[in-house]
Parts: sequence; C-alpha cells; structure tokens
Amino acid sequence: MMGAQPFETIVGAHHGEIYRYLRRVTARPTEAEDLSQETFLRAYRAYRTLGPDANVRAWLFAIATNLSRNHFRSEKRRRVAHQAVSLENRDADPEGPEAEALLGEARTLVDITVRGLPLKQRLAFIMRKIHDLDYEAIGRSLDCSPESARAHVFQALRKIRVGLNGHELPPAGGVERRASPAQSTERRGANAPPSETSPFSMERPR
Amino acid sequence: MTRKPQSCLQIEAELIATATGDAQPAATRRVEHHIETCGACRGEFHRYREIEGVVGALRRVPAPAAGEARAREGLESRLADLRSRLVSYRVFPSPLGHVLIARSEHGVSLVEYLHGHSDVKWSRLARMAGVEIQEDGAEIETLYRELLEYLRGDRTRLEWPLDLRLAKSDFHRAVLRATAAIPYGAVTSYAGIAAELGRPSATRAVAQALRWNPLPIVVPCHRIIGTSGALTGYSGDKVGLKQQLLAVEGIQAKGKRSDSHVARNTLYHYERNDQHEYCLPTCGDIARRPIGPVTLLASRELAGSLGLVPCTACRPDLHPLAA
Repeated sequence: MMGAQPFETIVGAHHGEIYRYLRRVTARPTEAEDLSQETFLRAYRAYRTLGPDANVRAWLFAIATNLSRNHFRSEKRRRVAHQAVSLENRDADPEGPEAEALLGEARTLVDITVRGLPLKQRLAFIMRKIHDLDYEAIGRSLDCSPESARAHVFQALRKIRVGLNGHELPPAGGVERRASPAQSTERRGANAPPSETSPFSMERPR
Repeated sequence: MTRKPQSCLQIEAELIATATGDAQPAATRRVEHHIETCGACRGEFHRYREIEGVVGALRRVPAPAAGEARAREGLESRLADLRSRLVSYRVFPSPLGHVLIARSEHGVSLVEYLHGHSDVKWSRLARMAGVEIQEDGAEIETLYRELLEYLRGDRTRLEWPLDLRLAKSDFHRAVLRATAAIPYGAVTSYAGIAAELGRPSATRAVAQALRWNPLPIVVPCHRIIGTSGALTGYSGDKVGLKQQLLAVEGIQAKGKRSDSHVARNTLYHYERNDQHEYCLPTCGDIARRPIGPVTLLASRELAGSLGLVPCTACRPDLHPLAA
C-alpha cells in the first residue's frame, strides 16, 4: 500500500522537528544534519509499504532514534556527545530579555544532568518531555514496552531532581506554561484538573 | 538520614507523573490524597512542578534555523539522487516461468524472464550500475495479479505507467513507444515499425532495439514478426514464449522453433486503403503480401474497434473465419 500523501508533504511537515530532535541528541550540527538526512532517505525507501493510517510522525521518530542508537554504539562518539550535547541547542540565539537568571541557571543544570543520562533514558526523556510523543511511540522507537518507556522517563526525572538538589528554582506558576494543542489526552487527560485550578497546584511546600 | 515511609516510596512514580502532567486520572487522585497528609511528599510534588516548568522553558528554545535549512537543502539533493536510482522489484512464478517485475517512482521499468531461475541475482537488475534495488512487497503484487489475468486471457491491456529510462537511446524509446501502440490481437513486422517511424531502412535497428526490450509483454514485442510471417526470435531463443503470448491473443503459429510462422489463413488482413477496409486472407493476393504494410488481426471485433469496415469484395462480415 502506498503512503497516502506524497513524500514531499512528509518532508515538509516533519523535517524541522526531526532535525531539532537529532540536534538535541547529537553533539555536533553536522551529525544532526547527516542523521536527519539518513532518516528521511531510509523513510523514503520504506515509504511505499507504509499503511495509509500509519502514524508518520511516530514512525519517523522511530527511524531517527534507531539511527541515533547505532550512531552512539561507538563509545567514543557517546563520550563526545555527553560532553557537548545540549537540550538548549546552544548555538541558538540567547534568550530574550524575559529570561530570568534563575531559570537560565536551572536550565543549564537540567541540561548537564540530561547529558549524563544513559542513552535510552536520554532519548525517552527528550521524546516525551521536549517532543511530546506518547509512550506507545517512544516504546516502539526504543524497542521496549510503553511501560519501560515510562520508566525511563521516570528515572530521568529522578536524576534531574537530584541534580537540582539545593538549587532554587523559579516557582512552577512563574514559568510560562507551554501552550500545546498537540497534547495527548493521556498527558493532561480530560479528568485531570487543569493545573492552575488544582486545589494544591499553587501551594508552596511548608 | 531518615528512611522514607513505605507509602511514600510506593507513590513516588505516580507523584512524579502527576507533578509533570503525565499521570492517569486515578493516579492523580491517589497522589492528591497522599500529599494532603504527607508534608514531605507535598514538598517533592512542588519541586517536580518547578522542574516541569524548567523543562517547559527548554522545550520553547528554538533550534538554530541556519542548521535546519542546511540539513534540508542537503536532504533535497540526496533525495533527488535516491529517487532517480531506486528501483523496487519482485520475482513471481508465472505460466512463462519466473518473471521479475521492477518499478521506479516513474513507472514500471523492467519485466524480465528469469529462464529457470527465481533469484534476483540472475536478473539484469543485479548487474546494473548506478541503480539501488530493493525488494518490494505490496505494490508490485498488484502488477503481478494483472499480469496473471493478462496471461490467462482475462485482461487485454496492462495500463501500467512505464519508465523507459532503461532504454539505450531516443531511437530505442521511439521503437518501444511504437510497439506499445500495437493493439491486442494485432501483428505487424519489424519493417512495419521502421516504416512507421519514418526510417524504412532501419528494420535491423528496430529488431536490435527490441532484442533489448526491457518491458516484454507490457511493450508487446511479441506482436512483431518477420515480413514473411516467421516468428523470428524472442528473448534469446525462446520462440515458444512468443507463440504462447500470441496464442493468448488468438493468433496461432505453425511449425517449430526457428521455423514457426503465424497461420495467416486464420487471420484477418488489413492493408492501408482509403476505405479502411479489412479483408479475409483469401481476398486477392493479400495473403502473399509482406507483413508490415499488411497488419494481421485476430478478430472482426478488433478490426471494428480500430475503425475498420469489412471489405465489400470478400465480405468478412458474411464469411467470418472459424474462431
């Protein structure tokens, strides 16, 4: 079965995000460049066999993740990546005037912790927390169950929590919340109260 | 250091999930209930809320646009290259032996008899330079089904998009196009195609071009024979295949191998005339005139579909040939 849309449409819709994902995962822009190109070339080869109802975005993330894991099979590359990788895409423009010193420092600390995570935890964390993929898709990308994918993210968050020990953070309400139309129902399910109206959400720890 | 109570350890995963917006409603309720009474966990909960805020800030940092544009540009060029090279194929059993069908993005580019083999390594495809091949599952299956219907006589046309890039020259492509236009159940000669292309002396060149027909059956070179009616060659020395394919279309041949000829006395004849009349093989000396100028037709229905009318002298409409 031929994919339902022309391949150009798929490139147009997903290239930016896949590149940004790989940029966050790899050490150097050229690595992200190569891996994102390889992701789409591989996708093109397999694209004709893709069912019309396939989740193209999750499928592309799975290809990109697989390529990244192969790429990092080389221990040396992994060490380099640990030293240089950055969730912030550090060659990006610096934050605007609204950036707060506290937030900047916290971001750097999170960054350092994520950099040091085992590869699966790091990939799972980035897919879930930065790209908002569901655990089903993350599990498929990492060749594990959705439950294991969830556990990887949980472990990552625990380590980030430890990494931030003793550091003051901006209060949860003080940091602008993300506006995400693509939130999964599970993520902020219909039954889960919106965080700002939750009876305990704004309380400070006693 | 004090140990965390068991209830706090048990709820830790759900607490983190709830604080970071990742929990099921039931888990959220359990966490709400727990932190109402546990100050330590309430503190943890808020800590994770703050962390979620920091992560949210990371999420909003844009990637460098320049790198992305460069990656995209490189991709477009590598993709264009791959597209021009990528050919998917599959090998199928058929009444004519194993047949390989290959297609590119532009259309079907190769149909090949594997003559007793069933592996792609025996195909021309495996030896072609600059081509990337991959086995294809579903898409070529449809083509295969249509081919089987055709070989059973249940289908008279294979309306496949064709990719003629494997042809060796413009002349080669022109020969293939002219051949593709010969209707089902009709037969002409190499000389006839040469004349149609405006190069009446190029009979041998036409024959040579069809020796390298990358798309047998679809580009029906089996409908082209010698001016005398001899089947000449097909796919090397497989004249038997040519006989089989012609028989499917209602055209019988007599004799064996290199000696086989189409049975002209079982076919209608058409030689260009202003009245567009087609004849019985017994009309005057038409059955002795060379094929090429004369086209052979398997049925009156075919003649009718080509806009031809029965000859007023021999009246094929009143004296149809035995089927």
